[in-house]
Amino acid sequence: MITPHDLNLWIREGRSFIAIDLRQIDQRDEMPLVGIDHVIADASGIPESDQEMILICQYGLVTEGLILEKGLKNTYSLSGGVEAWNAFLADNLDISNWSRQVILEEVGTKGQRKLMNSRIGIIGMGGLGCPAAQSLIGAGVMNLSIIDGDVIEQSNLHRQMLYSANEVGLIKVNVAKEKLKKMNGKASIKIFNSYLDDENGHSFFRDLDVVIDATDNNTARRSIDKFSREYNVPMIYGGLYKYEGQVAVFNIKGSCSYSELFPSSKNNNENCNEAGMLGMLPGIIGNIQALEALKIIIGISPNLIGKLMIYDGMNHTTQTIRL
Amino acid sequence: MIKIKLKCFSQVKYAMGQDEMVIEMKIGSTTSDLERIVRQRSEGKLEHIDLSIAINKKYVKDEVALNDGDEVALIPPVQGG
Repeated sequence: MITPHDLNLWIREGRSFIAIDLRQIDQRDEMPLVGIDHVIADASGIPESDQEMILICQYGLVTEGLILEKGLKNTYSLSGGVEAWNAFLADNLDISNWSRQVILEEVGTKGQRKLMNSRIGIIGMGGLGCPAAQSLIGAGVMNLSIIDGDVIEQSNLHRQMLYSANEVGLIKVNVAKEKLKKMNGKASIKIFNSYLDDENGHSFFRDLDVVIDATDNNTARRSIDKFSREYNVPMIYGGLYKYEGQVAVFNIKGSCSYSELFPSSKNNNENCNEAGMLGMLPGIIGNIQALEALKIIIGISPNLIGKLMIYDGMNHTTQTIRL
Repeated sequence: MIKIKLKCFSQVKYAMGQDEMVIEMKIGSTTSDLERIVRQRSEGKLEHIDLSIAINKKYVKDEVALNDGDEVALIPPVQGG
């Protein structure tokens, strides 16, 4: 495979290669391939050549399969296809890594751009925050803010997959940043090594498009709810109890707030240290929160705006309550 | 009498020992009456736990009269992380 970025380097270096557009005429008409000297052919018309060849289709999937199937040598598939190439030329934005999600009708290059230009905040880098952060960076979010004042403990390791045994005692946000940067070195990870409070909340929320509540207590959630409403930043709530998880999207388009659904300010329920927790459950719920964040950013529905979803990990049922 | 299908979540499920049950109540009973019955049957296990209520999968903020066949969910806030 070759990425749009590398292909652009080849062109600028004057490297010799043959580019072949394998798309059907309707796709070529709708989205012409620009900026590359190329020939048009179908799969049976690929010439035999000693020169390096680049095969191009709409999303880079057909050409990838073709090269494997025919065992073509010195031949590369343009990663992400014409969709990724044109986005690269337009915005210098390489979306080829996300070709498998760009192909989804609801995402497309437009949605991918929205995701890459968004800023998402995660409050709490524990059992929910780790999978949410990993999935969002994996999905192409380039601006992530994370806040947590905790250090890694041995009892965290079974469910907080960003951390390893040799990192016990280290500051969570520092280690999380290092790991997330390994996933995508171009992503900007802004870290706050403290718990959310009335002072840092303003600078944390100021630039956000969406915030993920990955905390573990009612007091923190009420604080997030307050800032979420003040800064008009939708709040993706996630909570856990033993085998059960809750997810809701609050404070958007006039929807219910956390404090309206759960009016009491008491911290009267057991957290996972007291009630117990399998590592898979926060993995599932944190990923659902990341999915809802992605849907809100791109504008995909249905979603959990104005709804509370309760997931039961014991018998794999869900119940959705309208709020 | 009216029959109410009770759906129990999180601590309510563990306090009641099941996730679903039918409770018979007097005609004219309300969500507050139901909550009182559940708290009594839980033998103190829900003493410090706040409960949000949904009727037929719709959250209700205030006390509401129940009808025969209603499905009522009792939902505590959960912690997490």
